[in-house]
Amino acid sequence: MSLIRPTASSSTFRAIGLGLGGRGLHTSRALAIRASTPRRDATVAADETGGFKYIPGGPILKGTVNDATPQIEASRSHGSYHWAFERVLSAALVPVTVGAAVSSGSAYPILDGILAVSLIVHSHIGFDSCRVDYLHPRKFPVIGPIVSWALKIATGLSVWGVYEFNTNDVGLTELVRRLWTA
Amino acid sequence: MFKPSTASSALRAIPSSSRVSIGARSFHASSRAALATPSETKPEQTKEFKIYRWNPDTPSEKPKLQSYKVDLSQCGPMMLDALIKIKNELDPTLTFRRSCREGICGSCAMNIDGVNTLACLCRIDKDVKKPSKVYPLPHMYIVKDLVPDLTLFYKQYKSIEPFLKNDNPPAQGEFLQTQEDRKKLDGMYECILCACCSTSCPSYWWNQDQYLGPAVLMQAYRWMADSRDSYGAERKEKMQNTMSLYRCHTIFNCSRTCPKGLNPALAIAKMKLEMATE
Repeated sequence: MSLIRPTASSSTFRAIGLGLGGRGLHTSRALAIRASTPRRDATVAADETGGFKYIPGGPILKGTVNDATPQIEASRSHGSYHWAFERVLSAALVPVTVGAAVSSGSAYPILDGILAVSLIVHSHIGFDSCRVDYLHPRKFPVIGPIVSWALKIATGLSVWGVYEFNTNDVGLTELVRRLWTA
Repeated sequence: MFKPSTASSALRAIPSSSRVSIGARSFHASSRAALATPSETKPEQTKEFKIYRWNPDTPSEKPKLQSYKVDLSQCGPMMLDALIKIKNELDPTLTFRRSCREGICGSCAMNIDGVNTLACLCRIDKDVKKPSKVYPLPHMYIVKDLVPDLTLFYKQYKSIEPFLKNDNPPAQGEFLQTQEDRKKLDGMYECILCACCSTSCPSYWWNQDQYLGPAVLMQAYRWMADSRDSYGAERKEKMQNTMSLYRCHTIFNCSRTCPKGLNPALAIAKMKLEMATE
């Protein structure tokens, strides 16, 4: 939809316009040009801001007051799949953590590895959610991508570190056990 | 008080018999003096109201809290009564939206003593020692005083297409619906779009340009849940992104603050569940 500022053009308006000395009611433009067709000389497209700078979250909105907010591109992996994965992972962490707590890390290295990676992925999703909430690139074009990449690198390093720790050292479960009894 | 002298020019067209009665009338906010038989004198209860003021005509002046003292014994029981009394009798420049004064229009949504609510449904705290603070809806651009700019809120409401969409209307008559299907809409259709819930949501504060907010999301689900609507899948597809729906972190401020007692968080949770399990 667009903002239409109709030039007074119907015969009624023309008659009034003549009475006012050839001037319309709303504009000072001479009338009787294309008197029967509606003029759409002030249309604003939905992605325009009427000459003002658009800042995400700022007071200037895209389009007119009659335009709906633009649709964000649909992506299930960012939508319902992401949400479902997040919930399932959180729920699965409960039995995995309990399982690791009652078993020995060195006896069940697979369970130890699953717990470690799940925890890291769970943390990554949580931190990523904070990043999207508070440091989204649309509002922070410099620091947003930096934080995004920093988080990805940190997660990657954590996975690598946990792999090294679980294969070459005592492993995560055993570490917690020793700290617990220390 | 409505002074007859200032109003005389407007009343000249009215026959003199009725003019007298109108001239003697005053607004309801100062009731006692206008009653035919004055009510018994109540003890004076002066309460302080601190109200957010900002005038767009002087944009360089910072917003401030202005203090008004109102005698509660001469004022109606609701916050809106106090605001109207202040506007009538103390400061006509005080600006706020109000219309129905009974909680059905949603105009007078504001932040009263730290809670987003409708001024017309909010009782004045009778504790006169504690001043009541009135702010506009939080984290919104302000037009003037207690009037927030709700343009974005309405544009978002428009984006969810809040109307029945069905390509196969019944050949005859109207859409029929079972009582169970109709019950699914209870608790959602009553929303008056006062924006109390959306503006109480921290996620909406930080990301309102993209996150739709609880009020609009509940209305989105209201049309997904409607058995007469056949565009549920398309409506859900619109929510399949990081921002529109999934910035809801189940904070529950929306359900807590709703002056109509509705539960937007439940509607959003149902929408998320349906989208994850479809």
